[in-house]
Amino acid sequence: MKFTVENLDGITIVSALPKVLDASNAMDFKADMGHILEESSRVVFDMSNLKFIDSAGCGALITSLRRLKGSGGILKLYDVQKQVRSVFELVRMHKVIDIYNTRQEAVSSFSQEE
Amino acid sequence: MSNPTKNYQRNVSEHLPTDDQIPSTILVVDDSRVVRTYLQSHLQKEGYEVIVAKDGKEAVSLLSDNIGIVLLDLWMPEMDGMACLRYIRENFADIPTIMITVSHEISNAVEAMKYGAFDYVTKPFNPNELLALVQQALKTRIQAQRLRKVEAELAKAREHEISIASRIQQTLLLGGAPKNLKGVRIGDLTIASKKIDGDFYDFYMVGDTCFDVIVGDVMGKGIPAALLGAAAKQHFMAALYRLTRIPEGSSMPAPEEIVQSVHREMIGQMKDLETFFTLCYARFDLTKNLISYVDCGHMRTIHYHFETNSCTLLQGVNMPLGFPGQDHFKQILIPFSNGDLFFFYSDGLTEAKNPKHEFYGEQRLVDLVRRHSFLEPQELCKTAWKEITAFSRSDTFSDDFTCVAVKIEVPEPTERYDQEWKLEVPGDLGELGRIRAFIQDMCKSMGTNVVDDERIKMIQIVATELMTNIIKHAYQGRKGETVLIEAKTSRDEIILNFYDRGIEFDFSSAPKPVFDGSKDDGFGLHIIAHTADYVRYSRDETGRNCACVTFFLQRRGQG
Repeated sequence: MKFTVENLDGITIVSALPKVLDASNAMDFKADMGHILEESSRVVFDMSNLKFIDSAGCGALITSLRRLKGSGGILKLYDVQKQVRSVFELVRMHKVIDIYNTRQEAVSSFSQEE
Repeated sequence: MSNPTKNYQRNVSEHLPTDDQIPSTILVVDDSRVVRTYLQSHLQKEGYEVIVAKDGKEAVSLLSDNIGIVLLDLWMPEMDGMACLRYIRENFADIPTIMITVSHEISNAVEAMKYGAFDYVTKPFNPNELLALVQQALKTRIQAQRLRKVEAELAKAREHEISIASRIQQTLLLGGAPKNLKGVRIGDLTIASKKIDGDFYDFYMVGDTCFDVIVGDVMGKGIPAALLGAAAKQHFMAALYRLTRIPEGSSMPAPEEIVQSVHREMIGQMKDLETFFTLCYARFDLTKNLISYVDCGHMRTIHYHFETNSCTLLQGVNMPLGFPGQDHFKQILIPFSNGDLFFFYSDGLTEAKNPKHEFYGEQRLVDLVRRHSFLEPQELCKTAWKEITAFSRSDTFSDDFTCVAVKIEVPEPTERYDQEWKLEVPGDLGELGRIRAFIQDMCKSMGTNVVDDERIKMIQIVATELMTNIIKHAYQGRKGETVLIEAKTSRDEIILNFYDRGIEFDFSSAPKPVFDGSKDDGFGLHIIAHTADYVRYSRDETGRNCACVTFFLQRRGQG
């Protein structure tokens, strides 16, 4: 799985997520994302490309969140699409991951926390 | 004066049944040949059979159930008296052991008695004292043997009684749930405890759309409880018969009248027997969507409300049957809706205890029913059994485990389905996309905007979760299996049936979802249950699993 990774003032922004994140590719997502997360502590996922997620996909995001938290890092999301948002609400993902509307909001939230 | 020992031996022989092996052989254990010979000849002269051993090791090899008592020297080279005593206590606890010691070492003999020695004798021996002691020890030995025998007979008798009570329960106490009743599905389960405590239940068809469920629990255990339960059931049957016949052409008597009539019939007998039973009588009227409910001190029935995904508990105001002073029974009326579920049960469920002696309790049971309300009633009963045995870490309870689940179905729409669809795919996660495309095509073909894009996505996620569960759990990731998907659509709803031939899913083993971010799985069932309008899991007799999900396109009215 290929992602686009940018670095902006020490913040890693991962975009070009797959269109679908379900049980068929959740394992690949976890493995490939693992490499990116190893080298970063402040991470933002651009969710605009992701149109469909299932429980396994949510599980993959939680795995990413836990990996980062384990090493003192933070994960934030922005531009979450409608279906994904509905599923997040069902499994209360919005309670455990910070979600922003835009990249700008997500990025600036880091400086506000300092 | 006759010899007391010989006298005693005669008595023993007279008292014991002839087929009994009397353990009267005396085992003498001493490293001194002089002592062995002295004791052997002395005791043989008194009519006893004596065998000898030169140390503890040899004694151990000679021990058997035929040995009456042991005379055991405290100090010996190979395995001393204390070690040998320990061995006897552990392996032949009924054989009294008399320690032999020298007079200046009495304290050691006293110590031995703490470890279970019968008594001690000191060297040099006083022949009369020795004989009296041997006689006393043998008497103890024979009494112990008798006790064992009586205990074994008693256990056998108890077992026999339990098997009779269990047969009474299976044949007389438990009614068969009506099958093929339109608009309702019923599941029932009884696991008899070791002691049988007279749980009973029955069902009566009152009309095409009306039936009665009776669940009762007799105080007491064993045959008396089972018989009283059977009698109670018989009385209900008789009361129903009588009350329906006498008033020509009149309507069916109300549950409160039936309970009252049975109480009147039985109160005399129950007073004499000093017993009572709790009862729950529920009449389901499927035309009026109403239950007439008479509760007589029984466990509170759980009413699961489909519409709000919540539970209420039904409790009446009556005392158990058999309590004197009660001359009137009151029924309450409870309305229900389609999709609702009623769970009747005995105290065996809520009073199951875990190793910490905590009760399973009503709250856990309510929670269990709510979490598994989507199951077929029979599956729900089985799941309750599995969860509660997992809680108590045991599958033998002190009370009978009885439950009856009644589920009001969501009726099929009267008009025929407009279209039916079918898709068979390999049981492979790579097929998830194809299943979603199938659903997309199906929804689109129903007409423009009949199902909006957002709703399509929600149907797709349910299909994705169902398919993933089949592949991961039913087929355990095995390749070469297939999944059949059938879809039916009408103006009112979409029904999806997923069929597989994998293993039966154990819903009680499914973990509760954890939403604090600490778990990255276990959300699938939760998503399905909260996205589809109606979910039903079943397994047919050919071993085919079916997950059936319904999506309402417009909210249908009640009834």
